[in-house]
Amino acid sequence: MTPIPLTPAVFHILLALAEGPLHGYAIMQSVEASSGIAMGPGTIYGTLERLEVSGFVKEVPAARRDRRRTFALQPAGRAALQDEARRLSRLAALVRAKRLVPRES
Amino acid sequence: MREHRFSRATYRLLLRTYPREFRERFARDLDSDFLEMARSRGGASAWRRALSDLFRAVPLTASDAAAERARTARIAGPIAPPGEPVMRSLLFDLRHGLRALVKAPAFTIITILTLALGIGANSAIFTLVNAALVRPLGFQDPERLMLIYESIPGSGRDRFGVSPADYLDLLQYQQSFSNLGAYRTTTVELSGGREPEQVDAATITSSLFDVLGVKAAEGRTSLADEDQSQSSVAIISQSLATRHFAGRSAVGATIAIDRQPFTVVGVMPAGFEFPRRGASSNATPADVWMPLVFTPSERQARGSNYNLSVIGRLREGPPPAQAVADLSALAIRIRDNYPADLPLKITIGAVPLREELSGQARRPLLILFGAVALVLLVTCANVANLILSRSLARQRDIGVRAALGAGRLRLFQVLLSEALILAVFGGALGLVLGYWGVRAIPAIATTSLPGASTISLDWRVVAFTSVIALGSAALFALVPLAAGLRRDLHDLLREGATRATGGRRQHRVQGTLVVTSVAFAFILLVSAGLFVRSFRNLVTVASGVGTTNVLSAQVRLPLTGYSDATRTRWFYRTLEERLRALPGVRAASVASDLPLEPDGERRAATVENPTGPGLKQAVAVTWVQGDFFGSYGIPLIAGRTFSADEQRENRNVAVVNKRLADAYWTGENPVGKRLKWGLTAASPAPWLTVIGVAGDVVDGPPGSDPPIHVYVPYAQATDALLTSPVVDLGRRMMTGIRGDQDAVTFAPTVRAIVAELDPALALSDVQTIEQLERDRSAPQRFSAVAVSGFGVGALLLAAIGLYGVLAVSVSERRREIAVRLALGAQPSGVLRLTVREGMTLVAIGLGVGAVGAISATRLLKASLFETNVYDPLTFATVPVVLGVVALAASYLPARRAAAVDPIVALRD
Repeated sequence: MTPIPLTPAVFHILLALAEGPLHGYAIMQSVEASSGIAMGPGTIYGTLERLEVSGFVKEVPAARRDRRRTFALQPAGRAALQDEARRLSRLAALVRAKRLVPRES
Repeated sequence: MREHRFSRATYRLLLRTYPREFRERFARDLDSDFLEMARSRGGASAWRRALSDLFRAVPLTASDAAAERARTARIAGPIAPPGEPVMRSLLFDLRHGLRALVKAPAFTIITILTLALGIGANSAIFTLVNAALVRPLGFQDPERLMLIYESIPGSGRDRFGVSPADYLDLLQYQQSFSNLGAYRTTTVELSGGREPEQVDAATITSSLFDVLGVKAAEGRTSLADEDQSQSSVAIISQSLATRHFAGRSAVGATIAIDRQPFTVVGVMPAGFEFPRRGASSNATPADVWMPLVFTPSERQARGSNYNLSVIGRLREGPPPAQAVADLSALAIRIRDNYPADLPLKITIGAVPLREELSGQARRPLLILFGAVALVLLVTCANVANLILSRSLARQRDIGVRAALGAGRLRLFQVLLSEALILAVFGGALGLVLGYWGVRAIPAIATTSLPGASTISLDWRVVAFTSVIALGSAALFALVPLAAGLRRDLHDLLREGATRATGGRRQHRVQGTLVVTSVAFAFILLVSAGLFVRSFRNLVTVASGVGTTNVLSAQVRLPLTGYSDATRTRWFYRTLEERLRALPGVRAASVASDLPLEPDGERRAATVENPTGPGLKQAVAVTWVQGDFFGSYGIPLIAGRTFSADEQRENRNVAVVNKRLADAYWTGENPVGKRLKWGLTAASPAPWLTVIGVAGDVVDGPPGSDPPIHVYVPYAQATDALLTSPVVDLGRRMMTGIRGDQDAVTFAPTVRAIVAELDPALALSDVQTIEQLERDRSAPQRFSAVAVSGFGVGALLLAAIGLYGVLAVSVSERRREIAVRLALGAQPSGVLRLTVREGMTLVAIGLGVGAVGAISATRLLKASLFETNVYDPLTFATVPVVLGVVALAASYLPARRAAAVDPIVALRD
């Protein structure tokens, strides 16, 4: 079964969480740093809630003295992220095969 | 955490649009994230992101989430495919509506502007109504407060204040009120600060603030211990405290009132206005409240000094009518205390305080309110019309939605969201316009309104506007729905192949709306015409004074320092002499009463051997020094004015006005006749010989009849009058100078001369008579201008409505017109056809409007000055103006109809 593409918001959030549990604001900063996409907190938390329903992420107890809600990637989420990464790299290979971008040395 | 406080509060409010479960879980994080964003990138950027959030990613509600889960579980994966709409709320509809509106900018802009004008005018007028009629008086249980007054039958005035002696009797006898308080207003000189200034003051009984139930912001309101002694304590207003004591605590401090030290014992809260404007007397809000002390003679004197305003608080239980009845019974008892030779049949009455305060303001305000309500109705009719025209374009959309199974409620929501956007933008813009509108209302037009100092846009106005805006939104949403749903869905969808047309019913609705707008515009324009005519009648009526180049100013002498009558006389005589000697001054005078203003003394007088019927009214008396008649341009009709000798010492002479002469010495030469003060010839006052007759001068509101008037030299004012601690009649004089050029240029010189005589004196009410006349008619001018503005606005709206309906009609009938043209109709015939369609509607509107105007203008009668409410000129002009404008509005679409190219139109 071909995996369903992830929405950009989902993909970037999962990607940000791949390095370890983060709270919402840190996710926002990480996404912005890595991709330049500006996401509002409402988008982040809304997506996080949906991802939690699907079992992709889980809320974990926050670090001491930080009362913000922190989320961690779950195995299902990691699998979805890997599927998406594979899908993207296939797409990237396709693009390269058509010589649309110069081959990286 | 104080930074970005307002932003955060607003953001928190916006968070309410999220589903509750989501909010409960994330609100704190969202809030802290918002703050962090605002800190690191600035508020604008934080807001951009937060708002895009709201429109992009509204999280699902719990039930939506369950449905989503079920759905996504069935399809391939747990994540919604990209592009899938995730929200199904009002917010979604709003976005949809916003996009639809942006795509039709002409419609959107016209609709929003129309709404904004209607709502703006409405909130501006409502702001005034609110301040004068709705807003609480600021007193405790104000509905239990009554204003008590005395009446003297045959006096020519229906209401007087209460005299001190009668007040003391009332206090002793009355049972209906739990307590009474009394006050009267005055002006005092406040010195000791930088510049001496004249401030408005009130002397009050110690009970008064208790009766009103008001508390001081600082200190106390009670002057109890001081009431009956001449002890010097005062309560001052917040604004005076701020001005005078800038930050320091005023309580316990000393201020100099009329050069006497007074200890401040209390400061009233900001916004406290007492006496309130609007009452018939003692109606100038004070900045200083001092104990009211009755002199021994005041306590005894009957039949004079009817100048106290008395407020009573009703006891629990008996209705106000009972109290009024009790008071009239008491009056009979008090009459017995009058001396036998003073047979005054006084009566005592009472009115609810609120009624007294809003009584005079009510009618003009309600008329303005009525006018503005008509404007709002025209606005609503027009917006409904615009939306109806637009609903044509949306009928297919509605049809498709209905065909796909959307319920009526759902459709309503879709339409409501669009109307809501229009209403919100229109309402917001309207509020801004209303705010400017209130600013634009000249201050002078509102100074007579109660609560004028507190006129501002407050939450009631905002609520009022919101209700209007949202109410009209709901209404507008219903219009296309009603028009659209009635149509057969099947037809609608099939017709979609060509284009939707309005159908008979919609045409009738739109036609009715146009007729309504025209009719309301007719009524407003007629009212405007009548107000303008009334205003012209008012300002052209002769007031009796020449207004060019006359400057007046008030110079008031405090009793301390001027307790010697000789000194007071010397002061004013010297002042007049120096003013007269100024280069460029043609005439100068000092007088106890300014012409036009009803602030002078009224007395009972007795005429010796009258040959006319006389007039049942008190005589206005003015003490004058110098060339009074010359300085105000009052003509001398017979005899002569006062000689230098008569000005220097008491020769018992008088100049009367024409009205008095005509009333008492009909057909005779009044010069040489005699009159005296007092009710009978037996009064101890000396006879005064009439030496001249002057022209009549208005001494009351514009348009009022001149009183009967007696002018006497200031030299005839008695020592007792000049040194009275109760009235400052002889020590509060108006200078009047007529110059060769613009009189305003004399103001600094007058100030300098007064300062030369006494540097501690403050000059007040420095104004030209021209200014005074303009100010006096300002409320009427405001009414005329405002109603005219509304009339023109309604006219434009009606024209826009007519244009819109015809334009739609023409574009719908392009095919029909093309066929006609193809079959040989002349373009001019097509033009006539369309114009006729428009003018038929206008004609019906004019007919309805004429009937409406005839019944509406009758309500204006009491507010118009010597103007026929069926004024033929107005009733003839308005239909012509309306007709011409309507013709222009019909001509534009008609020309488009005539320009239809049959070949192009039929090929489409």
